[in-house]
Amino acid sequence: MIDKSYDIIKAEALEKTYEDNGVPVKALRGVDLEIKKGEFLSIVGPSGSGKTTLLNIISGLDDPSKGEVYLNNKLISSMSGRELSDFRRDNIGFIFQSHNLIPVLSVEENIEYIMLLQRVPKEERHKRVENILRDVGLEGFADRFPTQLSGGQQQRVAIARAMVSRPALILADEPTASLDSKTGSELLDIMRSLNEKRDMTFIFSTHDKLVMDKARRLIVLKDGQIESDEVKK
Amino acid sequence: MYIFLKLAWRNIFRNKRRTIIAGTAIGIGLASLIFSDALMIGMEENIIESATSTFLGEGQIHRKGFRQTYEVEKTINNLDDIIIDLGGEEIMADFSLRTLSPAMISSPANVSSVEFVGIEPSREKNLSKIDEAITEGSYFSGDGERDIVIGRKLAEILEVEIGDRIVVTVSQAETGDLSQEMFRVSGIYFFNSREMDRGMAFARLNKTQQMLGIEGGIHEIALRFTDISMSRNKLLPFWDRYSKNGNEAVGWNVILPQMESVFALSRFSVYIMGLILFGIVALVIINTLFMSLKERMFEFGVLRAVGTRPFGMAKLIVFEAGALAVISIVLGIILGLAVTYIFTLTGIDYRGIEYLGVTFQDLLYPEMRISQFFIYPISLFFLTCLVGVYPALIAARMSPVKAMRQGLL
Repeated sequence: MIDKSYDIIKAEALEKTYEDNGVPVKALRGVDLEIKKGEFLSIVGPSGSGKTTLLNIISGLDDPSKGEVYLNNKLISSMSGRELSDFRRDNIGFIFQSHNLIPVLSVEENIEYIMLLQRVPKEERHKRVENILRDVGLEGFADRFPTQLSGGQQQRVAIARAMVSRPALILADEPTASLDSKTGSELLDIMRSLNEKRDMTFIFSTHDKLVMDKARRLIVLKDGQIESDEVKK
Repeated sequence: MYIFLKLAWRNIFRNKRRTIIAGTAIGIGLASLIFSDALMIGMEENIIESATSTFLGEGQIHRKGFRQTYEVEKTINNLDDIIIDLGGEEIMADFSLRTLSPAMISSPANVSSVEFVGIEPSREKNLSKIDEAITEGSYFSGDGERDIVIGRKLAEILEVEIGDRIVVTVSQAETGDLSQEMFRVSGIYFFNSREMDRGMAFARLNKTQQMLGIEGGIHEIALRFTDISMSRNKLLPFWDRYSKNGNEAVGWNVILPQMESVFALSRFSVYIMGLILFGIVALVIINTLFMSLKERMFEFGVLRAVGTRPFGMAKLIVFEAGALAVISIVLGIILGLAVTYIFTLTGIDYRGIEYLGVTFQDLLYPEMRISQFFIYPISLFFLTCLVGVYPALIAARMSPVKAMRQGLL
């Protein structure tokens, strides 16, 4: 169940202006957002609406031009580069559209990378990798390298890597964009079951209808502003 | 730490061709440095060997002041004791007694000034190579006390051949009276050295002593050690033992100080070459690392996004530089070892070429030293890692979002 009293993300009056060939482009224009722990939500909107920018800012990958972001009640802008890296490592899992994995590392090594940074003991790492591979349906694939996997399998590994360190928040930027609908649907089911099982918060940036359908909350962005914010029944 | 090492090692094999080309280029640089150093040492030893074994000897004993003035009366003091002591020296392979004096040498056709050297032919054979350099006639083969051996150039100047007569004029000790004797040319040698071939003449010791009026007197004892490196050691107690009673004992490096200076200059030139090579290597490494960095921007963005600290990114790049260095060093050592080893077997033919006033007499063999395979590779390794710091800083300061965005371009 979602704990409504606990905001995992709180964004206030976010603005982001890019320079594009010397021309300022406003990607976000005053976005206020509160996301509770355990939510499974999609940020949707047409290309250029600011979805990815919003995702990058609330995860601390990018700085807002104006406004503040609180992640787990911590003000992101107050953190140093190193603190921010550690914070992301311990609290946020990322799934990107593609090129998620380090090609020179095996499936197991890719998944345990974050745990290595966290200095999780070897036995614990091994146990967690084994469990998460089972959860994403990739048992027996531990020793394979990304190039030996299909696109769908690679995304499963990315999901496993994002979740294995048990972060409070998973951010997925167009996770199904490079997949066929069947594989995409399967992956969303995996993520949703993990969301329910482990109470992790999932935020998707997408314009895939499938993702929108599976999400429990839908935030629509248009021209850098929230056009609608709907919680599904 | 280990994960970055593993990542770095595997990363540099992602583009095998580039790694092999860069590694080979760096390896060739290292190999040429190893070879140059070995060649320089070999050349140094060859020059020392040529200089000392031709005539000079590895060390010499004189009466103090003789080397500066060449005064005929300055014969070695306590000669008999010295000869006995030298005979008992374990480090002494052999020694030879000589008289030295300036002389005028004349033939019916011409006249020339020379250094007139009195030697014991049988003993001198063990010290110098005059006997080996004989091209016409023979090296004091008979008992003729008026035999004289001269260089080819001098023979040409005097227009004499084997069997021809020449007259040697010297100034006697103490009185300064001129002493003149007729000699018969018994041997002509050729060292391909101007100084030796036109400026020296050799006769039997007892004859020169008689001419100079120094019966039993000796100007120079040329020395040969069991190990030539001893002659270079200025701290060897031997020198002090024989530098007393008005005599002085010195190594070849004291007699020819300019040679040591030139060796120092040669070594310095190897260091300069090393610096230039290392500079080129640095550029190759920076280029390779930046190309690799550029290709993996998105990946670096992902690594930063998932929580790799900036320092971790820097470590990764420095480790990649280190991994490239390891490959280059392995290639360089193999190449350097192979090339140098081949030339240590075949030698390089510089014979007849005069350098530093010394003519190479033997093939030049590069000298391999263990240090060449440690000092240069270790220096290269640290240089490579140091050079890797610049791209490492760029990677560390990279914003994850910018990196991913650039990676998608």
